[in-house]
Amino acid sequence: MNSKPDVWQGTLALMVLKTLERTGSLHGYGIARQIEQTSADLLKVNYGTLYPALLKLEQEGYIASHWGVSDNNRRGWHEKASWMDREVW
Amino acid sequence: MRKLRGWIVRFGSLFGKGRKDRELQEELESHIQMHTEDNLRSGMTAQEARRQAMIKFGGIESTKEAYCEQRGLPLLDSLVQDLRYAWRNLLGSPGFALASILSLALGIGANTAIFSIVNAVMLRSLPVKDPHRLVQFTIDGDGTFTNPLWEEIRDRQNACGETVAYSSTEFDLAEEGERKPARGMWVSGDFFNVLGVQPALGRLFARDDDVHGGGKQGPVAVISHDFWQTHFSGEPGVIGKVLRLDRQSFEIVGVTPQAFRGLDSDHGYEVAIPIGCEPLFHPDRSSLGNRSTWWLNILGRLPDGVTAHQGSERLKVVAAGIMQETLPGDWDAAGKQSYLKQRLQVVPAAAGFSGVRSQYGAALLTVMTVVGFVLLIACANIANLLLARAAARRREFSIRMAIGAGRARLIRQLLTESLLLGLLGVPAGLVLAKWGSRFLVRLLSTAGDPLQIDLSLDGMVLLFTAGLTVGTCLLFGLAPAFRAVRVAAHEALSLASRGTVAGANRFNLGKALVAGQIALCLVLMVAAGLFSATLRNVLREPLGFDQHKVLAIEIDTRQLVPADQRIALFETLLQKVRQLPGVASAATILFKPFSGSAQNGFAFPDGEDERDTRDSRTWLNRVSPGYFKTMRATILAGREFEEGDKRGAEKVVIIDEKTARDYFGTQDPIGQCLRGDFGPNTKGRFLIIGVVKDMKYAEIREPKRRTAFLPMAQNGDPSPRVTILARLAAPPASVIPAIRAATTEARHGLSVSFGELETQISESFRQEKAVALLSSFFGGLALFLAVVGLYGVTSYTSAQRRNESGIRMALGAQRNAVIWLVLRDVVVIISLGAALGLAIALGLARLIASLVYGLSPHDGRSFLFAALVLSIAGVLAGIFPAWRASRLDPSEALRCE
Repeated sequence: MNSKPDVWQGTLALMVLKTLERTGSLHGYGIARQIEQTSADLLKVNYGTLYPALLKLEQEGYIASHWGVSDNNRRGWHEKASWMDREVW
Repeated sequence: MRKLRGWIVRFGSLFGKGRKDRELQEELESHIQMHTEDNLRSGMTAQEARRQAMIKFGGIESTKEAYCEQRGLPLLDSLVQDLRYAWRNLLGSPGFALASILSLALGIGANTAIFSIVNAVMLRSLPVKDPHRLVQFTIDGDGTFTNPLWEEIRDRQNACGETVAYSSTEFDLAEEGERKPARGMWVSGDFFNVLGVQPALGRLFARDDDVHGGGKQGPVAVISHDFWQTHFSGEPGVIGKVLRLDRQSFEIVGVTPQAFRGLDSDHGYEVAIPIGCEPLFHPDRSSLGNRSTWWLNILGRLPDGVTAHQGSERLKVVAAGIMQETLPGDWDAAGKQSYLKQRLQVVPAAAGFSGVRSQYGAALLTVMTVVGFVLLIACANIANLLLARAAARRREFSIRMAIGAGRARLIRQLLTESLLLGLLGVPAGLVLAKWGSRFLVRLLSTAGDPLQIDLSLDGMVLLFTAGLTVGTCLLFGLAPAFRAVRVAAHEALSLASRGTVAGANRFNLGKALVAGQIALCLVLMVAAGLFSATLRNVLREPLGFDQHKVLAIEIDTRQLVPADQRIALFETLLQKVRQLPGVASAATILFKPFSGSAQNGFAFPDGEDERDTRDSRTWLNRVSPGYFKTMRATILAGREFEEGDKRGAEKVVIIDEKTARDYFGTQDPIGQCLRGDFGPNTKGRFLIIGVVKDMKYAEIREPKRRTAFLPMAQNGDPSPRVTILARLAAPPASVIPAIRAATTEARHGLSVSFGELETQISESFRQEKAVALLSSFFGGLALFLAVVGLYGVTSYTSAQRRNESGIRMALGAQRNAVIWLVLRDVVVIISLGAALGLAIALGLARLIASLVYGLSPHDGRSFLFAALVLSIAGVLAGIFPAWRASRLDPSEALRCE
C-alpha cells in the first residue's frame, strides 16, 4: 500500500487556517476530513499531531474555540478562524 | 508577540487542569465516534468501523501527551510532579525525613544566626547618604583626635574635604540621686548635613549651633526617634521642650528619622549635642582647649573620583602644618618631636564604628567557621543517608531508564528531592537563627553596657540563607544523584541482591564522607579544648586583690562642688560609709580597677638621667589610706598611706613590684625618691614609702605595667568624680539604701551609681566565656553527628555483607573474626579522619592565636585529648553493629535474599 506523505506541521497549520476560512467554524475531526478530501486523499493527516497543532494556533491567537453542539449533535470544540490576522506569516 | 501570547496562555493553563483534561477526553472520543459513523456509512461492520477509526487515529495516549505538553509549561509541570513525588517519598520514611530536616535546620539556623550578627556589625552600611564615600580619619593608626586637631582639620576643607566629628558618651537624665543614663553623641555642626540625614521633626544642627559655649539659640539638642517615643510618647509638641542632661538645660530642636541610629552599629543613640556645648558641663576643665585629651572621631566624605589612598596622599601635605598649630606646650622635647611627626590617613568607614567589630571581630569569624564546619558535617550525614537510599532504589531507576527516562531527568528529580529537604529545613532554621542570635547578643552584653545590635532580617541575611540552603542541598544531593543513575539499564533487573561485596557495594564514598566528618570534628574539638583552657586560665589569673563582696560606689559631684572642697567632701563620704553597719572596710580610688579609664606619665629614680620615654612610662592611680587593706592586696614592704600624708606634707608614692624591680633592681626602694611627671599639677620628687604586689589595672589579659599610687589627699587638681570601694559584710541590697542616705546627707544632689566589682570584672571576660561556651557546644554537637554518621555507615555496610558474614561463619570463622572484619573498617576510617583532622587543625591553629591565652595554639595536650576522645567514641560507635553482625545465625543469613 502506498504510504501517503505526511503533512508537515507548519503546512498543517496553514491548511487548517485555509480550511476554516472556507468553511467557517468546524470541529477537529471535520477539519481533518476536509483537508483529506480537498487533497483528494493524497494527504494523510496525522490526527495525533492535529490536536496539539490546533491548541498552538489557539494559544497564539490565530483561531478561537468554543464549546458547543455541532450540527450532528455532537459535543466538541468548534474552531473558528480569527479575522484579526489574515496575512500569511 | 505571538510567541509571547502563547507563553502567557500556557501560564494560565495551570488552573482548571481537571476540567480541561475531561474536555480533551470528550473531544477525542467524539472524534473517534464521528469517524466510526463515517465508516459505518461506507459499509463496514460496527466492530470493523471502530477498529479502522482507532487505527487511523493513531495513539490516543501519545496524542494526549503531545497535547498536554503543548498546553502547559513542561518544565514547571515536571517540577511540580517531582515535588509531589518527593513529598510522598518523604512521608514514607518519616525517620529519615525528620533526622535530615532537623540536622539541616540546626546547621542553617546556626550559620544564619552568626551571619546576621556579622552582617549587622561588619557588613551593613550606615543609613546615610552615599555611605561608600565615607572615610574615617586616623592619626598614626589611631582613630581619636583632640579638639584643637579637629578644628584645624575642619577649617582646611580644600585638603580634607567635608568633615564631621563625633564622640560617644553617656548623659545623666536624673536631677539628683541615682544615675539615669542616656546614650549620647557629641557631634559637630555639619554632622547631619554632611551625612545627608533629614529631620523627622523640627530641624537638625547647623554650623552656628556649634560654637564654644552654645550657638545662636543657646544649648540645643537633637533626639533619636526611639528616645522620642519612649520619653515623650511620640507627641509632636516635643520641639522646644527642655531636656536636662547632667543637670544642664538643653532645648530640643529636632528628631532624627527612625532609620538613623547613630554611627555605632552596636548601640543606638538617644541624644545628640553640639561639640561646642561641652564647656557647659565642666567650665573649669573643658576638653575643647585641651591638646592632650583624645576623644573625637573624625569622618569625611571623599570627593568624587578620589580613592581613600589618594585622600591620604593629599593629607600628607597639610599634616605638618596641623601638628605645628596644635602642639601641646607642656610636653617634653621627645614627646613634641613624636607629636610633630604624626601621620594623617583616611580609611573606608561605610559600615560605621563598632566596638563589637574591633573587640570581637576575630571571635565572630572563628565562631562562623565553627558553625560552617558543623553544617558540613550535617550535610555529610544527609548525603550518606541519601546514598544508602539511592542504592536501595536501583531497581526503580533502572526500570525507569529502560522505558525511556533520560539520565538528566532522573538527576533532576533526585536534586528536587534534596531541594525539598532543604526547603523544609529553612523555616525551622530561621526560627533557630532568631533565637540563636538574640542569645549570642545577650551573652556578649553586660548590665552596664547592653548591646543593641539591630538584628532585623534584611535582604543580605535572607540572601545568605537562600544561598546557603541551595548550596547545601546541591552539596549533599549531587553525589548520590550521580551515583544512583550510574546503573546500566539491564543490571538492576537481573540483580539478585545476594549481598556479596562486589565493587559497587563497598560504599567507599560513604566511608570517605565519614572520614571527612571525623576530620572536621577533630578540628572543632581541638578548638573547644583550646578555648575552654583559655577561659580556665583567664578565670584563674591572679588579680592582685580580692574582688569578692566589694561594692563600687561611683560618685559624681558634677559642678556642685568647687575644686577646693572636693577632697574634704570625699573624705567625709568615706568616713560615713565606713561607719555603716554591713561595711567591713572602705577606701576611695580615682580609677576603679577595670574601669576603662587610665592615666599615665613618666617616672624614673631620682638622681638618674632622664630616660627614654618608653623606658619610663608609668601608670598612675590615686587612693586613700586603707585602700590596700580593703582590697586585700599584698604589701611587700613599707606602709600604706596615712592621715599625715596630706596636702602640704611631703609628697609620697607607693610603687608596685614591677616598678621596684625595673627601677631599683634588688635594692630596697623604701626611702629612695622617684622623679615623676604625670601632668601639669603632678610633677616633682616623690618619696617612696611602700611597695605592693602587682595588681591588675584595666584588663585581665594585660601585660604587667608599672603602676604608681599617690594619695588622694595630695591631689592638686581633684576630679569631680571618685569611686568608693567598700568591702561588705552583709548583702549589698541591705547596705545600698543606707549609703544613698549617707551621700544625700553629706551633700544634696550628688549623682551616685552602684555596682558589684566582682560582676563588673567577670563581665570583662565575656568574650572568652562566649567563645568557650559556643565552641564546646558545637564541638559536642559535631561529635554527636560524626558518631551517628559512623554508626550509620557501619550498620549499613555490615547489613549489606550479611551473606558474606554468614558464609564465613558457616565455614568456621569465629565470632571475633567477624567483629574484627567490621571493626577493621571502622579503625581505618577513624585513623584517616583523625590524621586529616590533625593536619587541618595544625594549619588553622595559627589563625586563632589572638583568642588563646595562657597556652600555645599548638598545645599538644589539647590535640591529644581531642584525638583520644574522638577515637574512643568512634570505636564505641562501631562496636555495636559489629557485635550485632557477629550474633546472626549463619543459616538465617544465607536464607535471606
